[in-house]
Amino acid sequence: MEPLLKVEGLKLYFRTTKGIVQAVDGVGFELMPRTAMVVVGESGCGKTSLARAILRLLPKNVHTYSGKIYLDGQDVMQLNDEQFRRQIRWQKISYVAQAAMNALNPVIKVGFQVAEPLLIHKRMKREEAMRRVVEAFQIVGVPTDFVDRYPFELSGGMRQRVVIAMALVTNPQLVILDEPTSALDVLTQANIMNSLKGIKQEFDLTYILITHDISTSSELALEAMVMYAGQIVELGKAGHFYLEPLHPYSQKLMSSVPTLREDKELDFIPGQPPSLINPPKGCRFAPRCPKRFSACDQEPPMVEYKDGRKIKCHLYA
Amino acid sequence: MGGYVDNIKKAQITEQISVQVYQNPAYQSYTTEELRKLIEQKVALEIKRLGLDKPFIRFDSLYGFFHSRAFMYLINALTLSLGRSEHIYSSSGSKQVWLIIKERLPYSVLLFTTASLLVFFASLYVALILSRRYGSIWDRLSVALAPLSTAPSWFYGIILILIFAAILRLLPFGGLVDIPPPENRIMYALSVLKHMVLPLLGWFISGIFVGVYSWRTFFLIYSSEDYVEMARAKGVPGRLLERRYILRPTLPTIITSFALMLIAAWMGAIITESVFNWPGLGSLYMAAISQFDTPIIVGLTVIYAYLLGVTVFILDIVYAIVDPRIKVGGGTAA
Repeated sequence: MEPLLKVEGLKLYFRTTKGIVQAVDGVGFELMPRTAMVVVGESGCGKTSLARAILRLLPKNVHTYSGKIYLDGQDVMQLNDEQFRRQIRWQKISYVAQAAMNALNPVIKVGFQVAEPLLIHKRMKREEAMRRVVEAFQIVGVPTDFVDRYPFELSGGMRQRVVIAMALVTNPQLVILDEPTSALDVLTQANIMNSLKGIKQEFDLTYILITHDISTSSELALEAMVMYAGQIVELGKAGHFYLEPLHPYSQKLMSSVPTLREDKELDFIPGQPPSLINPPKGCRFAPRCPKRFSACDQEPPMVEYKDGRKIKCHLYA
Repeated sequence: MGGYVDNIKKAQITEQISVQVYQNPAYQSYTTEELRKLIEQKVALEIKRLGLDKPFIRFDSLYGFFHSRAFMYLINALTLSLGRSEHIYSSSGSKQVWLIIKERLPYSVLLFTTASLLVFFASLYVALILSRRYGSIWDRLSVALAPLSTAPSWFYGIILILIFAAILRLLPFGGLVDIPPPENRIMYALSVLKHMVLPLLGWFISGIFVGVYSWRTFFLIYSSEDYVEMARAKGVPGRLLERRYILRPTLPTIITSFALMLIAAWMGAIITESVFNWPGLGSLYMAAISQFDTPIIVGLTVIYAYLLGVTVFILDIVYAIVDPRIKVGGGTAA
């Protein structure tokens, strides 16, 4: 089977007054249709930048934006901005932004905002589009009479659901969810995660779920990607990762997650994630790694482990 | 009598009446002593007529305050009884402040509404383009040029007069129309237009740079809102994105700025009108100030104050129309 999304050597660097920030540095992975990949890592490790790089949502201070992105076999990096807007955005990839609380225009009714991609990309009539919006609202669990409300009249959880409805309304193949539940209370989080799970099965969707909430994401994940300092350090089946993380960083990350049934002492990672301006040479995790050895001042290779996982670590070379 | 201005006024009145009396043939048979007495009486009468015998302002007692001139001006101003000017006449020969202002207002409105509309929409348009190209050469140039707006419009006006009127002799030095005014209506309008070019240009140059700079910054701030980013991700095309996601949410600010700018423009520009000899409210202000014509100054100020009050009131209603977050009255929240 052909992968839905194939990324090779993706780089996204920003220009700042202090230097070049290597937010995404040579990321490559494949994503099969109808899977869900969870991307985890500390704040500032480049997760959101990765999502933006895939969607070509670039800030104004871009320094480098290179690499290859194939969507359904199509090389989307070859498209110019207008072609990308017409063919990819919301046609094939939709996006649920971080801080969805502010992702809705405050002066436009939410129903219209959800209908907007249909009007733009599918050239639908307004009545027809609004019927689709009502359906989408039912799917994500928003009362259908909310279509005529303004964002400020909705609670945070409802707004989040509206943004998810907006991402589903055009039936895209890939939905990138950037911390879709981070600003919500635990009950609402669980609710939304369950909705997302149901929707995925119903509509054969592919998800990329960016989160630092490892426990909640386990509900949904089939594949897992661990990012550290702009690079992938572990990539593989979610089941393997959750049970037995291999990279020292993944291990530390997992041991910092509280679990209910096991009796364990929560661990933390000493030190700070490295600055993405002039990151350390060799392994970027080495300064904080408990298992570092002499080889770690060399750039570690991407090693394939026996269960098919890819690990960027000298320990498995 | 009060301060130094009152002394000047009193001297003016005395001189004026003396000249009148000495030149009046009816009083030729009067002796010097009689003339002096007559002048004294007339001066006292005039001072009383103008209210100059009352103190300008007093705070020692409530009675004193209510009988001071400032209070009188205040009451007249609030009730819009602008009264009669002291020295300035309208071109129809009236001393009614209303008439004088009414006569001048259209010229200020004509010149400065045009100028302000030009500056406002040009800077809005350019700023939108620049905010799309943040960091480009044009954008950086606009930032670098912004200080040019610190020079007032009359400064550019003088330079423009020097170039286009004095040296090139293409455009008139100032005034409203050619002298003598053309008989034909169309020729008249064209002549007025020709006289408007330099003041418009001066106003435009001094306003455009800071206008572009501030709107550009404004749009940059609002174009990094999350919902703008989201709309971009949705594939909303550029123009529509700007209209629906940047201009629409910021409409209250833009309307406010526009309305306040417009009424300020109606009141004319004191020095610019004087430099270009434009017969609007600005040069009326100038004349009134230099002749201590209090009723005119009070009248102009009061009209502006009322205009401002009414505009702000209307704006409050407009906000409720353009921004759903603002509701009129105590409607139940959803």
